[in-house]
Amino acid sequence: MKKRKNFKKNKKSTGSKISLFQKSDIRFSKSCPLSGKNAPVIDYKNIKLLKKYISESGRILPSRITSVCLKKQKELSRSIKRARLLALI
Amino acid sequence: MNCYEHTIIIKQDIPENQIKLLVDKYQNLIKNNSGKIIKTEDWGLKNFSQPIKKNKKGFYFHIKFEGIGKTIDVLEKNENIDQMLIRFLTIKVKKHDLEKVYFEKRAL
Repeated sequence: MKKRKNFKKNKKSTGSKISLFQKSDIRFSKSCPLSGKNAPVIDYKNIKLLKKYISESGRILPSRITSVCLKKQKELSRSIKRARLLALI
Repeated sequence: MNCYEHTIIIKQDIPENQIKLLVDKYQNLIKNNSGKIIKTEDWGLKNFSQPIKKNKKGFYFHIKFEGIGKTIDVLEKNENIDQMLIRFLTIKVKKHDLEKVYFEKRAL
């Protein structure tokens, strides 16, 4: 039982990084970073923005990690797939 | 009239004078089929992120135009049988964004 308790404690202390796919240098805010007044435009040509939301192996990051709202996540995944078709990402 | 964005990728081993003819050909196709060209961007020779049909590089051309559904039918029908193209993509947009340029362009 003691061992189990320690394991739980350790898990809490390393809670800052949620997933292996998450890049350590980019920290995502709690509210949606793509909606709001000065939010960047999601476009399949805007590769700099799209690269933030894919993992190193090229998979789309889930919105529970990046905290993007549902409407923008749909837009994001659509534009990532368009950029893949043109071999930009 | 709807707004469309069209991108084509041309094979790398095609000479420059033939590329110009090819782009002109598609521009005229749009014009002749009740379309109106607003802007043409030349993105130049770019590396692919993954090889497509054993090609590693390609010339990118981006055309912003207005047109109707029939314009795209004719355009894509011609592009499907063109052996000099690798890929193309047509996207319908609500409004043309002419200010932002995401890729370096050369004057056409």
